[in-house]
Amino acid sequence: MLGVSSVPATISPSAPLLPDGTRDVLPDEWSQREYVRWSLSELFRAWGYQGVELPALEYASAAHPLDSRAFKLIDTGGQVLALRSEFTTALGRLVATRYPAGPFPLRLQYGGQLWLRAQTSELGRLREFTQVGAELIGVATVQSDIELLALARAALDRVGVKADLEVGFPGFVDAVLEDAGLSGAARDALHDAIDRKSGADIDLAATTYGLSSEVTGVLHRLTDLYGGNEVLDEAGRMAQGTRARAAVSHLRAVAQGGDLTLLFDLGVSRRYGYYTGMTFRAYVDGLNQPVLGGGRYQLANGLPGAGFAMGLERLVRALPPGLPPHPETVLALDLPALHAAQQAGLRAELAWTDNRLELKTYSALRGIRRWVQGRELTEVQA
Amino acid sequence: MSSQPERSANHLTLALPKGRILEDAISLLSRAGLPITMPEASRALRHEFPGVTVLELRNQDVPVYVDLGVADAGIVGKDVLIESGRAVYEPVDLRFAPCHLSLIREVGASGPIHRVGTKYPHVARQYLAEKGIPAEIVKLNGNIELATLTGLADAVIDLVQTGGTLRANNLQEVDVLFYSSARLIVNRAALKLRRERLRPLIARLRELVREES
Repeated sequence: MLGVSSVPATISPSAPLLPDGTRDVLPDEWSQREYVRWSLSELFRAWGYQGVELPALEYASAAHPLDSRAFKLIDTGGQVLALRSEFTTALGRLVATRYPAGPFPLRLQYGGQLWLRAQTSELGRLREFTQVGAELIGVATVQSDIELLALARAALDRVGVKADLEVGFPGFVDAVLEDAGLSGAARDALHDAIDRKSGADIDLAATTYGLSSEVTGVLHRLTDLYGGNEVLDEAGRMAQGTRARAAVSHLRAVAQGGDLTLLFDLGVSRRYGYYTGMTFRAYVDGLNQPVLGGGRYQLANGLPGAGFAMGLERLVRALPPGLPPHPETVLALDLPALHAAQQAGLRAELAWTDNRLELKTYSALRGIRRWVQGRELTEVQA
Repeated sequence: MSSQPERSANHLTLALPKGRILEDAISLLSRAGLPITMPEASRALRHEFPGVTVLELRNQDVPVYVDLGVADAGIVGKDVLIESGRAVYEPVDLRFAPCHLSLIREVGASGPIHRVGTKYPHVARQYLAEKGIPAEIVKLNGNIELATLTGLADAVIDLVQTGGTLRANNLQEVDVLFYSSARLIVNRAALKLRRERLRPLIARLRELVREES
C-alpha cells in the first residue's frame, strides 16, 4: 500500500503524555490565538469594556450551572474547589462583591481558560478550552440589548469571521406554553421537544398529557419560527398573553433600533430558566457550529446582566487565511542589525555564532532568506 | 483543513445510513424533490449529485456527522438518535423503519435482574436508573438475544421489529422503553444557514409523510 509504513505502529502501554482533552498549542496556532485575543480585547476596550481577571479556582457549589461537569479538587482545609467552568457566574460574584453600588452600567471584559471534566458527548473533545467575552451589567434596556448585538457583530468583523447572528427568546416559548395552560412536567417536556424542533416528540407529549389539537398546532408552529424579520410578525400573531406580547415587542424594538442584519429563532428554549430575556448566537458558514453565544440573565444579587462569550478554538478555525499577517523573519549578524531590522518592522533573530555554514544550515531549516548586518541594515549573502 | 471540493453556498450534504434504510431514505428524498438516486453498488462512500452530496455511513455515525456539522442533515432511527445523546434538530418523523426498544427476558423469568445486555448502554443506564434496578450493563454488538439464552445476562434491552426472533427463542417483552422510527435530523447551524433549501425540504417531507400514512 502506498504511503503506509510497513512497520506496525506500537501502542505504548505507558501513560499518555497529556490528559484527555488537553493539548499543546504550537507557534503557528499560538500566533493566531494571540491575534484574535488581542484584536478582541482592543475592540472591547474601545467600546468601554474594562478588563478583569478571575481566579481559575473557585469554591464548588451545587448552585453553579455547570457544577456536575466541573473538575473538583480538595483544598487543604477540606473544602471542595472547582476549576472555572464558565465566566458569567464568577463575574457575577465579582460584581456583587467589588461593585455593590456600581456605578452602573458596568462594562467588563474577560478571557481565559475553562475546564470541564465531562464534555457532552465527544471522546477527546477539548476539556480545556478558551473563551473571551464581554458583559454589560446593571441595565436591561432595548438599547443595552442592541449594544451587545452590535458589539458581537463588530467582534466578528474585527477578526474577519463571516457569521450570521441569530436572536432567540426562551421566555417567549415559556409564555406561549403558559398561555396554552401548560405547567409542571408537561411544560418541561415540551420545552425540550420544542428546542429540538421535534414534531414527533410534541405529538408524543400531546398524547401523554391529553392536549387539544389546537394547542398541539400552536406548539408545532413554535418549531417553525425561524428566519428573518418575518418571524416577528408570525410570533406577534401567536402571542396571546402579556408576557408573550412583551417579548415580541421587545425584539421588534431591538430589530428596528439596531440597523443590524439579524436572524430570529423564537423556538429556542434551552436554559429558559436561566435566561431572562433575549439570547443570541453566531453561526459561521462552513463550520456549522456556533462561535459566539450569549444572552440576558439575572445575577445572584438580582442585578440584570447580559453578555456573550466567544470560543477561541472555534474562532481560530474560522479565521480567514492570511491572518494574522506575518512579517518576514531575518537573521541579524550583530545587535545593531537586530535593532535596525526590528525598527524596519521585520522580525529578527540574532546570530549566535560566526560559523557561516552553521548559520546557513539553520536559515534553510527556518526558512530565513535574508541576513542583515550593521546599523544601516545591509543585506548580506544568506 | 478539509478535502471537500468547492461548493455553492446552498450545497447540501446529507448523512444516510447504509443498508435497508438507505433505499427508503433515498426514495423519499427524491420524491421530496432532491435530485438523488440510489447509487450503483460500488465501494464509493460519498456520492455527488447536482447540489447534493450523500455520505453513506454506519447508522450510529449519522448523528455524529450531523451534530458536528460535516453533514447538514441526515436520516436515522430515533433509537440511534436517543442513544447518541446528540443535540440536533429532528423536525420530521418519516414513519418508516418502525420498531420499539424493549426490555426482554426469557418466557417465565421472574428473578431479579443483575445484568443487562444491550447495544444501547446510555439508554439502558437511564432506564434502569429510573426504574431503580441496580443492574450491571454489558455492551454487546449483535445477536443480543443470545445474552439471555446463554446466561450472560438476566435480561436484554434491544430493538423489536416483528417479534419473530423473540418467539423463535422463547423470549418475551417485559416492558417497552419507547417507539422508534426514522427521523430527519438537521444540524442546528445548518437549518438557519441553509434555510432556503432545508425549510422547503422539511415542509415537503411532512406533506409526503402525511399523504402516505
